[in-house]
Amino acid sequence: MTNHVTDWLNAYFDGELTGKRLHQVEEHLAECKACQAELEALGNVSGLLHEVPLPDFPSPERFATQVNLLLPQKRTPAPGRQLFEVGWWMIPVGLLAVWVFISTAVLLSNVVSMAESFGLLDDTTASWISSPSDTADVTSTLGQFGMLEGNSLQWAETTENFTRGLFPQIVLHVSVALLYLAWIAVWWARQTHQVSEPLLEG
Amino acid sequence: MESYSVATDTAINETELVTRAQNGERNAFSELVRIHARGVMNVIHRMCGDEQIAEDAAQETFIRAWLNLSSYRPQTSLRNWLYRIAVNAATDMLRKEKRILPGDIEDLQLADERPGPESLVSQQERILLVQKAVLSLPDTSRAVLVLREYEGMSYHEIADSLDIPMGTVMSRLNYARKLLKEKLEAKLFVRMEVEHD
Repeated sequence: MTNHVTDWLNAYFDGELTGKRLHQVEEHLAECKACQAELEALGNVSGLLHEVPLPDFPSPERFATQVNLLLPQKRTPAPGRQLFEVGWWMIPVGLLAVWVFISTAVLLSNVVSMAESFGLLDDTTASWISSPSDTADVTSTLGQFGMLEGNSLQWAETTENFTRGLFPQIVLHVSVALLYLAWIAVWWARQTHQVSEPLLEG
Repeated sequence: MESYSVATDTAINETELVTRAQNGERNAFSELVRIHARGVMNVIHRMCGDEQIAEDAAQETFIRAWLNLSSYRPQTSLRNWLYRIAVNAATDMLRKEKRILPGDIEDLQLADERPGPESLVSQQERILLVQKAVLSLPDTSRAVLVLREYEGMSYHEIADSLDIPMGTVMSRLNYARKLLKEKLEAKLFVRMEVEHD
């Protein structure tokens, strides 16, 4: 006898076969002593498994009471708490929005400056867009009064330009990044507290 | 027809209880615990073979269920969802409590003579052997075997409960039964040998 149906005997034994496959296994079993014995062995194993008794567990009512006493306090959906949760999740969204706003403003500013330097803007637009504070006003004034000269004047102008232009951008970016990291740290602390809560009560 | 009506009523009642429990009502959750306590404890006991551990793991199961109730989708079976948590809790508990892991089944010496009726002694030994054989199975295969043999779940329900494909259910079940047969037939005088042509 060949083409045994060993692979399908478990499914047959469990009543999981239907249709053509069921018919095929039944036909084979009618003729094959080996597969019949294999099926009988499955029945024997199953019978042995069912000989193992269950212990006397506490009644479901008593068990439910025990579990109820062990249940940790769940987050109660109080309205104030819900508002707090919404606000809490709005913090990173707000920070992201601020960062996008700053980046876009800087980008646009750079584009306008480039357009202006290439003479792509007419005079009216350029005068409307250009900020009068773009130049190193303080250093120029000091230079006019003769308090700064030569290299010192040049260094002071570069420093003032950097302080007025690039420095605020760096401060803003770093501030946003630090606030975001702080939010992640608090979030992490809250998560850790929530996970350890049931263990403590258990 | 009457039994169908009762089953539908039970399902509706359970759905309502789940909704109330999801809203934080502890009494509704306690009622769900009462309904499913026996099944969960049975599954865990079959998984770990120790009464006290089974009770502890069952409590852990329901605490995990309570904490994660918001992730349960009411259109799926609560029993299957709970059994998945129960199997995981039992497996975790077994890892922690290594003392209940069985020794080698070959180490078990069957007594030739014992006081009392011979049939009773023989049955106790058989039970011990079977328990050891089941506990020596890999966790994944044992879980499938327990849900099929003791809980009578269909392959589809087991796949749903353990979140594994049907093919995996079949292969794990075949493997578990094959191992059990090999382990038990050497010790028990049950004719299970098969000689293929």
